[in-house]
Amino acid sequence: MTPEAERARVVVRRGLVLVAVGLLALAAVYVVAIRYTPVERFQGLPQKIFYVHVPAAWCALLAFSVVGIASILYLWLRDPRLDLFAESAASSGLVFSTVMLTTGPLWGKPIWGTWWTWDARLTFTLFLFFLFLAYRALRGALHDPGERARYSAVVGILGMVLVPFVHLTVYLFPTVHPQPIVLKPSSPSLPWEMLRTLLMSLGAYTILLIGFITTRYGLGRQVEARGGLDVG
Amino acid sequence: MSADSQANAWFMWAAYGAAALILGGYGLSLWRRARRSGR
Repeated sequence: MTPEAERARVVVRRGLVLVAVGLLALAAVYVVAIRYTPVERFQGLPQKIFYVHVPAAWCALLAFSVVGIASILYLWLRDPRLDLFAESAASSGLVFSTVMLTTGPLWGKPIWGTWWTWDARLTFTLFLFFLFLAYRALRGALHDPGERARYSAVVGILGMVLVPFVHLTVYLFPTVHPQPIVLKPSSPSLPWEMLRTLLMSLGAYTILLIGFITTRYGLGRQVEARGGLDVG
Repeated sequence: MSADSQANAWFMWAAYGAAALILGGYGLSLWRRARRSGR
């Protein structure tokens, strides 16, 4: 095994350890959220979806921001590892977006009475999801590594530009989506037991995100070390 | 437990189950890919 392949194998192993720790932490969050966190008076049990939905949104937006930053650095430094890192973050961001877009409607149906509404936050989020699906499709369609990295970096940067808009939509176009209750200028408006569970969940999800990105990046490096083609 | 609160509980379990399936499933797929590429 070449030193490069050995290094990639270590990265994969570290990533998988983080994934395992993240999944165990998530299991603990489930127990705390379901068993030890009070039920909200007006929304009842569906309010607890908040603990799996909000961290998924946080991780998706964080991952898409990482894609943009890595893409800018790629266009500047032309280091293929940055392109691989951006791709790993985009794929991981899509996984968390899927969680966000699945759990959101499951909260919306009992609380709003509808699975989906074309509210600005929801529409922008769906658009961002499609944009990163297009990013993946673009990578699959281009076989020249330099061309693939350049074009996808541009799409990745455009995706990152959308992230602050997604966050601000609830202020710019206030309709039905709740406004932030933690990430806002004033202090969080949440009882401590609920805030504690949310912070635990944010921690578990973030560990998972780092684990997913690291593992995927390491797997890409392994393919490269073997001189294989990874259209990722 | 009333029919309403049972239905509400269903939404919560469905969301928790979906999140676990998606995140756990992706973690498992990475682990399997790592095993394949480690050979």
